[in-house]
Amino acid sequence: MVDPSNGAVYAQVEGIGPGTTRSMPVDVGSGEYAFTCTGQDYGIRNGPVVQVPGKAGGGTAVLVLDQDQQNSITTRARAYVASGLAALVAQTAALVTDIRTGNLSAARVAWLTAHLTWERLGSAYGMFGSYDDAIDGLPFGVAGGVSAPGFTGFYRLEYGLWHGQSSAELSGPASQLGVQVRALQTAWPSIELPPTLAVGDLALRTHEILEDAMQNQLSGLDDFGSGTTLATFAAGIDATRAQLGILRPLLASRYPQTAALFSSLNQLQRLIDAEKTSHGWTSARDLSSPQRERLDAAAGQTVELLSPIPVIFEQERPIP
Amino acid sequence: MSEHGRPTGDDRSLPSNPASNPASNPDVGDCPVRSARPGRRTFLRGVVGLGAAGAAGTAVGIADVHSAHAASQSSATQTDVAGPADPQGRLAPVPFQGVHQAGILPPSQRQTIAMAFDVVAGNRGELADLLQTLTQRCRFLTSGGIPTPAGATGPPSDSGILGPTVVPDGLTVVVGMGASLFDGRFGLASRRPAHLTAMTPFPNDNLDPAQSGGDLSVQLSAGSADTLLHALRDITRHTRGGMQLRWRMDGFASPPRPSGTPRNLLGFKDGIANPDTASATEMSQLVWVRAGTSGEPGWTVGGSYLVIRLIRMFVEFWDRVSITEQENMIGRARDTGAPLDANSEFATPDYAADPDGAVIPLDAHIRLANPRTSQTSANQILRRAYNYDRGMDVVGNLDQGLIFTCYQQNIKRQFETVQTRLIDEPLVDYVSPFGGGYFFAVPGILDSGDYYGRALLP
Repeated sequence: MVDPSNGAVYAQVEGIGPGTTRSMPVDVGSGEYAFTCTGQDYGIRNGPVVQVPGKAGGGTAVLVLDQDQQNSITTRARAYVASGLAALVAQTAALVTDIRTGNLSAARVAWLTAHLTWERLGSAYGMFGSYDDAIDGLPFGVAGGVSAPGFTGFYRLEYGLWHGQSSAELSGPASQLGVQVRALQTAWPSIELPPTLAVGDLALRTHEILEDAMQNQLSGLDDFGSGTTLATFAAGIDATRAQLGILRPLLASRYPQTAALFSSLNQLQRLIDAEKTSHGWTSARDLSSPQRERLDAAAGQTVELLSPIPVIFEQERPIP
Repeated sequence: MSEHGRPTGDDRSLPSNPASNPASNPDVGDCPVRSARPGRRTFLRGVVGLGAAGAAGTAVGIADVHSAHAASQSSATQTDVAGPADPQGRLAPVPFQGVHQAGILPPSQRQTIAMAFDVVAGNRGELADLLQTLTQRCRFLTSGGIPTPAGATGPPSDSGILGPTVVPDGLTVVVGMGASLFDGRFGLASRRPAHLTAMTPFPNDNLDPAQSGGDLSVQLSAGSADTLLHALRDITRHTRGGMQLRWRMDGFASPPRPSGTPRNLLGFKDGIANPDTASATEMSQLVWVRAGTSGEPGWTVGGSYLVIRLIRMFVEFWDRVSITEQENMIGRARDTGAPLDANSEFATPDYAADPDGAVIPLDAHIRLANPRTSQTSANQILRRAYNYDRGMDVVGNLDQGLIFTCYQQNIKRQFETVQTRLIDEPLVDYVSPFGGGYFFAVPGILDSGDYYGRALLP
């Protein structure tokens, strides 16, 4: 259901099967409405314009992006990932060298630097396909757990570096990580989504990066020894901010809570920054109950405010 | 666990005996004289009481009188809070507004969630925002309706647990404030209710800080568990930035087995004696903070002190105890609920006739909790208990027990006095209080612009 004057969308239902009925609740106020349908076997079909009289308030419609806007967002999103990948390749190479040369205390520092750069790329929803698992996979659900030969990537190295494993034990997994990261950089141009899909994907990740980071990092679940999950969470905030920065020119006119969202994100940032001290990052498991409550409140509020963004840009995902 | 009833007794089945009824004692100025009534009449009186308290209004219907009368001679069962259920078993709405919070006087409903939150709001303005949001959500949830569609502007505004239209299902809410809310954070120290403190640990308690206290208590009660989970999800979703859940316990009230007062998980009818919620006089003497009470800040008028105690029951052990010992510990017959010196659940025990405890031991729970003397009448509390069952503990025992809640005008004079009498009662070997807290249930929501604690936050 759209506003016929500008095509802005009030509500939509995707994938209605032949002969089926679906409901589409809309808060209809005074104004003009029309239905528009897009089908696989036909183009866009528009229904008649219906006038609702009076001065009743109703739901608001969301403006659809034009081609230029899509292209501009896609270009910026690509540039962000490409520059992040370049940094990741260099930092991972340094990590591999430290491990090979037996400089494990330097390796522990290099590991965190590279891992945070990875997190800042904002990979979610399998943005990097099978590279996601190879580079940042977890040993959960695998026979053998942390000892399984299939357990590779950053978390494998974290486990080894913080559990007394030797340079010899870690050189293999380290080299593998270096290879995977370089391969990803090479493959990235072919993985990239076309502009019509890229905007919706970016919007999804704008919300989901922080959902992932809350579930796995703020909780401490993905701590394999370094106690740096709050640093990773902070990198997730950076990644979210980067996606938001790309979307921001289009956000204010489509999302009335934009200011509240940034205020909530700033509050979360202040709280998480306070957990980095001269001794390093607080381990998530050492958070006191009031600290955890404050972080949960700010993070919870932030993801609530992020959650409309994928819906607002949902029409940018064409019908499959 | 406690039975803190009125000393006048709730003698529903026996003719009144002026000679043995303490209510006729002229010393008991606080207690209105009333004669015993048969079951139907006392049930109706309970219904009127709800209406008078602004809790149920006209929603209470005749159909329920039949079912409750057939089921029970009790003054109130948990099914009569919100009037008749619809064909799907959903209860009618309980009016949200009133001088007192609507969830306080009604009898226990079938399901409850008792919980406490820590306020994370940073200042008084944010606290007011939080309380306004909480009020707004509770207003919607208790009255029901169609959630505003989000359309293309966001994810669905409602979890959908109750279907496309939110049904009220008799939902009631009681919001309380803990003493910790009156620390320095919001500049409210001088406005703390006079008797509000952190929960006093008693000698047989084993209080876990993580399951005790909290800045705000919220108790949701309704006919079904899904109604409560829907309300819980809605409330937490809208208040994430302002408060965080500190502890939570889900509970239920059993149906009458086979009649009368619901049973707890020790198998005994629990909460037989209670003050008369239909009596405005009695409620104003025992439950509500009154205008002009010495030391009480003005904003507290119409509120009530709430004690929540989470009490584990060692049910495996209990089930290995002889019936004689069980009944002597409680002071009532397990099958009927009657005091051991009588034949009816609602009979008043005659302790004067049993001074040495030959029939009802001197340390029986009901005798210590409510000695039924003129001196102890002002100690009575309005008690609302729920059973809980949450699986098992880490060593393999069933984790079952009681969510004890009670309302009163003054915690020291009432709950703490009664609980002090119960110290070291024989029952302590079978139960362990481990959580809960003291809260002040704020005054009711008066109109569409009102919110929880508005008078506190001018």
